[in-house]
Amino acid sequence: MTTASPTRWAGPSPSTARRTLDVVRLQFINRQTFLWIPLIVLLGAWLLNLLVYLIVAANGGSGPMYSGASQAPVWYFAVIGGQAMTLTFPFSQAMSLTRREFFVGTLAAAAVSALGLTAVFVALGLLERATDGYGMDGYFAYLPALWTQGTLGAGLAYFTLTMLFFVIGFWFMTVVRRFGPMVAAAVAIGVALIGVGLIALVTAAQAWGAVARWFVEAGPVGVSVCGLLLAAVLAVGSSLTLRRMSV
Amino acid sequence: MTAVIEARELTKRYRRTTALDAVSFDIEADTIYGILGRNGAGKTTAMSLLTAQSLPTSGTVRVFGEDPFENARVLSRLCFVRENQKYPDDATARHALRAARLFFPRWDQALADRLVEDFRLPLRRTVKKLSRGQLSAVGVIIGLASRAEVTVFDEPYLGLDAVARQLFYDHLLADYAEHPRTVLLSSHLIDEISDLVERVLVIEEGSILLDATTDEARGLATGIVGDAAAVEPLIGGREVIHRESLGRVTAVTVLGTLDDRERRQVAEAGLDLSPVSLQQLVVRLTQHSSPGAGRAGSAASPRPDAAVERTIR
Repeated sequence: MTTASPTRWAGPSPSTARRTLDVVRLQFINRQTFLWIPLIVLLGAWLLNLLVYLIVAANGGSGPMYSGASQAPVWYFAVIGGQAMTLTFPFSQAMSLTRREFFVGTLAAAAVSALGLTAVFVALGLLERATDGYGMDGYFAYLPALWTQGTLGAGLAYFTLTMLFFVIGFWFMTVVRRFGPMVAAAVAIGVALIGVGLIALVTAAQAWGAVARWFVEAGPVGVSVCGLLLAAVLAVGSSLTLRRMSV
Repeated sequence: MTAVIEARELTKRYRRTTALDAVSFDIEADTIYGILGRNGAGKTTAMSLLTAQSLPTSGTVRVFGEDPFENARVLSRLCFVRENQKYPDDATARHALRAARLFFPRWDQALADRLVEDFRLPLRRTVKKLSRGQLSAVGVIIGLASRAEVTVFDEPYLGLDAVARQLFYDHLLADYAEHPRTVLLSSHLIDEISDLVERVLVIEEGSILLDATTDEARGLATGIVGDAAAVEPLIGGREVIHRESLGRVTAVTVLGTLDDRERRQVAEAGLDLSPVSLQQLVVRLTQHSSPGAGRAGSAASPRPDAAVERTIR
């Protein structure tokens, strides 16, 4: 028995870049998860929202109508982020992928999906702007706070929110799988406590006005950039948690 | 002989249990290995570590001379579909096979198609709704059609009927003959795969109990068949690991080999030496090492596989 050496089959193996790209293809082999369901949720929410506006308008409601229904598919991204971890990650190991290839490819697939969703959202917003809210002053996508810096700003905000939820779902399930549900629950409560603590601080300092001003001044683009930075931090955290995880 | 995998002092500890305890072994190229042992002995853990799906607590694994962890160059030449493999939500068998085609450079679609037909695998049904046997078939098909240089099958027969199991063995042998590669096969159906495997690695309680060729393993024991009265004196002080009697004819398997004098005795008494069942041997080996298990003489149960499959604690 000699030392290990490649067998005669050793040939050029596909590059990591190629394999990462194939992870994106892998995520879209079943188009349901990353394409149809988010679209159906978005368009379903839009349709329901429109019907409600119609009812209100038909009964003499006046003034512009806004709703937060367009965030519906964003929540679903937390779910698919979690599933990418619990189901697709173990499968990726059977496909002999490295954790990094899987993670980067999956994040890219989520970004592709989020971009598609954002395009629909922006298109609906533009339609609403052109038709003054379907002629009844009702808005699903053309929400004033999001559009103060134009079409791209609104798109960036929607995209950021979607990716943020995906990464949160992914990381949360990574923590569940690696450290168990107890630790994950403790972490979730810890994060919530930090949030409450921040609220307490701002309230004690009577700084809500300043906070609101910051959001207005930063605008959708500024807030989105901060959101993307947060998503990047979370993504790095996820990849570090995933890195040494056993299947 | 070339080692494709080298494990050194490999240890894997979970919170309370030590699944593998400082084991060292080599896996040789182009050989079919039987990874044998009782439930919980550490077989799956070992296979997970060799394929870098899990990380060792300590010790090293080298595959093709390199650390396989996060190493795409090495991983793309391995294939390990787990016994309880998870698949993406709502994925069908077709999706799974299409994915495998993306990632295994030596994937043979024609072989995959033929296997799908042979195993009668419903391609459109979601994996969640497949029967246990069909689920095993997905893993078997990916493993065979990937043609990976190191292919690991973890109890691939679960839920497969006798016909399907035979299909698997036949396909494995036929494809192995054409495309030699290293195959690790864990199984409880030891006699069923004993003609298939060239080497056995018996794992018990996190340690390697036996690392030998199948013939060497069989050589650890001797089977004697013939008139009961003539067989008895030959047993001597040896441990009987299996005994079967039908009328006056007795077949015993004893631990150890016969010396020349005894061999002459066998011939003179008109007795026959029979091939040893690998399963009986493994049952004996793994029972002996676990405390409180069957004593010598009663070690061979009438259904050895039942004894093997009894869960450890």
